[in-house]
Amino acid sequence: MRRNTGDHVLAAVPLAWLAVLFLVPLGFTLVYSFGTSGFGSVTLGFSLDNYAQALGPLYLQTFLRTLAFAVGTSIACLLFAYPVAYAIARRSGRFTVVAFALILVPYLASLLIRVMSWQILLAQGGPLERILRAVGLLRSPLTVLDSLPAVVIGTLAVYLPIAVIALTVVLDRIPPEVVEASQDLGARPSSTFWTVIVPLSRPGVATAALLTTVPMLGELVIPVLLGGNKGLFLAQAISTQYAQSQNYALGSAMVVLLVIAVGVIVALLVRLTRGFDAAGAERGAG
Amino acid sequence: MSTRTGVDSALLTRTVSRRAVLGAAALTPVAAFLAACSSTGSGSSATASAKLTGQLNIYTWPDYFSKDDLAAYAKKYGVTPKISTYTDSNTLFTKLNSAAGAGYDIVVPSSGWVKQIAGKGLLEELDLDRLNLKNLDQSLLNRNYDPHNKYTIPKDWGLLGVVYDPDATGGEIKTWQDFFDAGAKPAVSGRIRMTSAAEETVGPALWVQGKDWNTKNLDDIKGTEDFLTGFAKHVKTFSAFDANAMASGAIVLAQANQAYARNAILLNPKLKWVVPGPTSELWVDSFAIAKNAPDIERAYQFLRYQLTPTVQVNETVFLGYPASLKGLKDKLPSNVKESDLIFGGPDVDLDKLTSFVVDPETYPTFQDVQNKVQAAAGA
Repeated sequence: MRRNTGDHVLAAVPLAWLAVLFLVPLGFTLVYSFGTSGFGSVTLGFSLDNYAQALGPLYLQTFLRTLAFAVGTSIACLLFAYPVAYAIARRSGRFTVVAFALILVPYLASLLIRVMSWQILLAQGGPLERILRAVGLLRSPLTVLDSLPAVVIGTLAVYLPIAVIALTVVLDRIPPEVVEASQDLGARPSSTFWTVIVPLSRPGVATAALLTTVPMLGELVIPVLLGGNKGLFLAQAISTQYAQSQNYALGSAMVVLLVIAVGVIVALLVRLTRGFDAAGAERGAG
Repeated sequence: MSTRTGVDSALLTRTVSRRAVLGAAALTPVAAFLAACSSTGSGSSATASAKLTGQLNIYTWPDYFSKDDLAAYAKKYGVTPKISTYTDSNTLFTKLNSAAGAGYDIVVPSSGWVKQIAGKGLLEELDLDRLNLKNLDQSLLNRNYDPHNKYTIPKDWGLLGVVYDPDATGGEIKTWQDFFDAGAKPAVSGRIRMTSAAEETVGPALWVQGKDWNTKNLDDIKGTEDFLTGFAKHVKTFSAFDANAMASGAIVLAQANQAYARNAILLNPKLKWVVPGPTSELWVDSFAIAKNAPDIERAYQFLRYQLTPTVQVNETVFLGYPASLKGLKDKLPSNVKESDLIFGGPDVDLDKLTSFVVDPETYPTFQDVQNKVQAAAGA
């Protein structure tokens, strides 16, 4: 009984923290989203006008474009991250820590510094152009900066470490016995990979997808710095409503819709992570 | 969180930092950006205890006062000004409009926002008898955003102009129509920088039609949408001005203020600068005293100090934007490079320029057009 009380107290601290710093502001946002906006003020009430506007052609298009960007870039991120994670988890031996460090060290630098480094690298007349020219792969000036491909490159670079770590953790937990059993039963390495390792790493894939897609939906810095602030993304649209138009009500409605969309994505991915406990339990039993 | 907000705001506005360092050919947007970020991060907590601590609390753009002048003021009056910073006018408005905005003595609103901020009762009415405005450039006084200088006096000013590579545009640019025509040429298309400030995108399209950008008519503003979204495909970036991109030729035609243009021209002397006709923007960043300022006496003392001719010259050299002193051009030290450009070039007539005034009825429509233009540019 006493132990239970202690547990509850312990749980109450982070819960209170979460309630004050997350749920309360979110509650305000929800209330504002039904209000009527003045310039830098909101009159509370119940109106669905903001939602009608947030679902209008421009913002709906912006939402779909942002969703396509986030999902597409997240998939690309996973495709790059998987081989790296596989190598670290199953092939790096005593160099695992070093490999992890190499992945993590850049991640410790501020996001801005990393994105701006890419701005310098990709600039016309910059280092990448000089390298490509030197090896004969490029004759004309490099014009990739301030375009969608530059945004994708920067986003991949920024989110790759997260995906690698999420995948490595799961790949590392796949019991060697399972792989050995597959080989003993005559499976070729490629069949073992596709029929044993990939399905067992599903929770890692889902976690990595979650940890990359969701923040990409709210990405603001990278499109501005590498994409020339062109081609509206959702975070820019929301930020404009709050900061420029001073329309907190419409901004709030857009935030609520985004939170709902993120909720749906999380729910879908949570279904995929169900195998996680099973994989861990097998190893524990083995 | 405050840092993050500052960063985001900085990204979205035309000016990362209003200050363009004199002769700072090496000033990259990266450096300016980092400077803006760090200032925002470190300077976001003014206190209301000015009287007790002998402080003067100033809320302003990053790097907007010469440190030497501040030190000299501190030495003379025994008060070290405490500086907090914002990176766009919206932040100033939002903060003064909230409980967090208490405790500032001096604020530096931009001309466009003075009416909104004063209208909310957030600025003290100035007693002009306590300030000597006779030495100031009279063209900067009594303008549309603050008739009779009821709330503000000019600190420094800038222009919206165009910096371009005449080889690419194939000729001179004299008007905004020339700007749009040049932008559609093959050698220029895809190498244009426009600002992300909605009024500076919509404004030129209105001026081309002979219309006023302070119009109350929403149809006039919406009427620019088709033209501008059509033009958007030629634009490479709406991000912060990058002098290096103009030096490398990645950008050959850009909207810019005179200080940014000067940086680019110092890097690449073949570039040209113009303030296009029939009209363009004059923005004036202005001194004001915050409502319920903890120490109004000291605020006036600081303003009088700032208006002394020596300080006005120092501030101009430091900022790369002209302070408001009459005849300032002739008083600058002779070693200042391209000093004409600080004043927007030899032919600028301030009386022909117009200042934007944010109007809650029309401003969201400006933003809508801007959003659509930026969306179209990336489509």
